[in-house]
Amino acid sequence: MTPLSWYLILSATVFSIGLIGFIIRRDLIVMLMCLEIMFNAVNIAFASFSFYNANLQGQIFVLFSIAIAACEAVVGLAIVLALVRNTGINHSDEINKLRD
Amino acid sequence: MNPAVEHAFFIYFFVSLCILSVAVIASRNIIHGAFYLLIFLLHVAAVFLFLNAEFLMVIQIIVYVGGVLALFVFAIMVMNIKEELRHKRFVKFSTAGLATGIIFFVSLYIFLNHVKSGENVLIKSDTTSLGKLLFSYYLLPFEILSLVLLVALIGGIIIAKKTPVDREGR
Repeated sequence: MTPLSWYLILSATVFSIGLIGFIIRRDLIVMLMCLEIMFNAVNIAFASFSFYNANLQGQIFVLFSIAIAACEAVVGLAIVLALVRNTGINHSDEINKLRD
Repeated sequence: MNPAVEHAFFIYFFVSLCILSVAVIASRNIIHGAFYLLIFLLHVAAVFLFLNAEFLMVIQIIVYVGGVLALFVFAIMVMNIKEELRHKRFVKFSTAGLATGIIFFVSLYIFLNHVKSGENVLIKSDTTSLGKLLFSYYLLPFEILSLVLLVALIGGIIIAKKTPVDREGR
């Protein structure tokens, strides 16, 4: 049986890669994809804690987390869509106006 | 399952998850990034299967691959984002961001390297007990979550729709 620390290190690695991608990419949609990567890393950590403590509350929390991630993707993509439609900008460092 | 086989599969999933997440970041074309994200999500579902969470695996595939990723691809196609070579992929401070992430990972690794777990593991996870827990102890968060989903749906529609000014062409 693989120990708990392996799963946690897997989660930490994937979370760090997602964090780096969120910092260094310019595309707004790729930044949202990196957010999904970070969500999945945290879900792996929750599921591994649920497995190694022999209770199901971690899995319940993963269900809630998946639903909240879906909400976040909907609202984020709607904001990006409105931004691209109104200004034609899809890069994060060109957004420097609060009004047209 | 044989422990050696399980270790080998776990190492495969570890390496492939790292490679796929790096590929999502490093891909120049956004559609390619979305495709790598699809394979990444399927691998995460397989890791859930390792942890005796079959229901989570199914929910991951249905919600993420069938919902969120389809939403991403739909948004990319609606926005008609072309590959712009005049822009660089990374921001100006990308090395500083990389160093920040590496420092974060090293500190987490030092913290997580000596984690001890209990002896009893989840023997058999059936969806029945998960459903009983979800609809007894977690009934109020479940209902609140339904309300949150409704609010996010309405908010997404209102943010992304065309305003009347756009429709009249003024």
